[in-house]
Amino acid sequence: MKKVLVGGLLIFALLFAVVASGCIGGQTQTPTGETKTETQVKTETKVETQVQEKVFIRFAGWSAGETEMKNYERMIKEFEQKNPTIGVKYEVITQMFHENILASFGAGVAPDVFYVDSSWAPIFIDKGALYPISDLADQSFIDKFYPFLLEPFKKNGKLYGLPKDWSMLALFYNKKLFEQAGLTKPPETWEELEEYAKIIADKTGKPGLAIYLGGFNRYVPVAVSNGAPKPWFEKPEDASWFDNPVVKETLAWYINLYKKGKIEREQQGLTPYVVAPGDVGAGWLGDAFGQQQVAMVISGNWMIPFLADQFPDFKYGEDWDIAPVPAGKSGRVTMAYTVILGINAKSEHPQEAWKFVEFLLGPEGQKELVVKAGQTLPSMKGFENDPDMWPQHRKTLSFKYDDMIVFLWGPKSGPLEGKFSDAMAAAMRGEMTIDEAIEVMKQVVQEELSS
Amino acid sequence: MFSSFSFYEKARNKEIVAGLSLISIAVILNIVFGYFAMMFALYLSFFKWDYIGEMQFVGLKNFEIVIRDLIRGLHGAPYLLSPFYTGLKNILIYTAIVVPVQTFLAIVLAAFANQKIKGQQFFKVSYFLPATTSSVIVALIFIWLFMKNGFINFALAHIIPGFQPIDWINSREYLLLAIAIVAIWGTSGHFMVSFLAAMQAIPKEIYEAAMLDGAGPIRRFFFITIPMLRPMIVYVVVMGLIGALQMFDLAWVMAGANGGPGGAGYTVALDIYNEAFTRIRPGVAAAKSWFLFAIIFTTTYLFQKKYGRAMR
Repeated sequence: MKKVLVGGLLIFALLFAVVASGCIGGQTQTPTGETKTETQVKTETKVETQVQEKVFIRFAGWSAGETEMKNYERMIKEFEQKNPTIGVKYEVITQMFHENILASFGAGVAPDVFYVDSSWAPIFIDKGALYPISDLADQSFIDKFYPFLLEPFKKNGKLYGLPKDWSMLALFYNKKLFEQAGLTKPPETWEELEEYAKIIADKTGKPGLAIYLGGFNRYVPVAVSNGAPKPWFEKPEDASWFDNPVVKETLAWYINLYKKGKIEREQQGLTPYVVAPGDVGAGWLGDAFGQQQVAMVISGNWMIPFLADQFPDFKYGEDWDIAPVPAGKSGRVTMAYTVILGINAKSEHPQEAWKFVEFLLGPEGQKELVVKAGQTLPSMKGFENDPDMWPQHRKTLSFKYDDMIVFLWGPKSGPLEGKFSDAMAAAMRGEMTIDEAIEVMKQVVQEELSS
Repeated sequence: MFSSFSFYEKARNKEIVAGLSLISIAVILNIVFGYFAMMFALYLSFFKWDYIGEMQFVGLKNFEIVIRDLIRGLHGAPYLLSPFYTGLKNILIYTAIVVPVQTFLAIVLAAFANQKIKGQQFFKVSYFLPATTSSVIVALIFIWLFMKNGFINFALAHIIPGFQPIDWINSREYLLLAIAIVAIWGTSGHFMVSFLAAMQAIPKEIYEAAMLDGAGPIRRFFFITIPMLRPMIVYVVVMGLIGALQMFDLAWVMAGANGGPGGAGYTVALDIYNEAFTRIRPGVAAAKSWFLFAIIFTTTYLFQKKYGRAMR
């Protein structure tokens, strides 16, 4: 019996040793770093002295494709050459990025630098997860960015992140279908948008406009351009935004676009003039537009590289063009979507992390990563007339808007956007009346923001 | 006196050392990723946390949130305001469809595969193939098949005269059914293998005796095969229940994180995920997980107790 016990203990000691050594192996980062740098700088002889001082920072982002990843890898290499004492470990998290980052905070292994989407920013800022950039950066550097893009990332006079790039909504229209329908210019107002969509459907047999079922953020410009305040939900009482008569009216108009334009038209046996991408067998708006199933969509700059890549025969300028988002009674408003590079507040090397962020976001970095890549718009001013900027993107930058709304509805942006969109979709499909949908949306605000 | 030499000499000790070290990896993995995670979830269910800051003890408040959700749902609140209730309702309907059908289908498939017919190996392989494919891939393929102008509507329109194509994925009425069909298709083959093994273990003598007594193939199937399969049926139903009640992958792909139109494809597992990572309330998510665990545990326990023992 005793021997059995001793035997068991021995095994556990052995296993413990194995596990413990594994743990220790995981904690010592220097040896792994050493091997890495050795392979990278084979020709250098005095590697060891360098490695001693070298600091490693971890940088996490999602990826908009292989080209973007390669661009980042190239820039990181350049940065490491300029700053031999800093090593950067690039980690790409392809799916559920913010959830992953949150979980890594929970486990205490969050990266030093990471992307934060504007709609997730309040969670990270409120909980103190982000290092105040304003403590690290020169004001002159911050001043180079578009000021409206910085607004959502400020709290108590401090700035918690700088945008790496941005996109805005614009109206994409199919010139050939417009010609067939006898239209010579893109719609100027929301009323014209609906009117033109109808004309196109009647004359060409193709739906004039595609919108998402739901899609609260696509509706917001309609409300604000007609005089509603910007939506902001911080406390349960903010649900009163939905009581605003302009909101009620515009929301009903937006929901009816689909109800009247799709459901009622089909009941009458006519071509629908408004559809959702799924109705024409497309995955999303860009797909529906690229396949030339619809004449107009309101979408963001991300559509431009998609169209160039997936539909090379559908040419900008000849076949399709870009126009500003239609105007309402009190002006022209569009949405802006942005992503910041945040620095982990618990990072052991905030100075080094900032050096890296400054490099990526500076003029040099933005030129390579944003302007030349052509995926989105640079967040820094001064590239408006850059010859490397894609003409499509340059055109979106030339539009004049009275207001730019950054995609952010307060501390619970993510869940609110999802649930608002679900309620709107239910009303669009006719499962709920518009008043019921508005009531549900109000209750959602109260529910999410109470306690 | 004790010496290492004599310790290993004894065959019994050797066996113990070998045995313990062989199971140790599985046991440790199970403890770390199973029991520790489970206990941590229980601990978490009493706290308010946002991953970044400190944990804050809130007692039974998280459970209260879950119960309030259920009560509100029972009073007929729209699904956006009672997500847990919606998920629970959907998953119970889904389980009620999937488990009986997949069990029945698995027995039938196994009975076919057990026949001595030409190309029997081919059928075995083709029935089992879905089980070897990732459920995400299966779901993606079925999304195509279920599209409004997809193959399933095309085939149905040819079989049933006057059939109107159904928009399976975007319809409130059919989404859950579509998910259930995919689940049945994907799992029946897997359970068929279990039944096939059990069928081949039934002694031939029993069939021979029955044949001498004049029992035909159908009577032999119902009076010998089915009763002899009973322990395996219990096993398959229990495994099916556990799998169906915590279904996540198919709903995630086919309905999306918010459960598709009208929340028709929303499940408890999706709600737990959303609670943890969209609404950032891991404590509530843990409380919901324990609710789900309690439901799975009681249903499988009751089922086992009622049908699992009676054999022999």
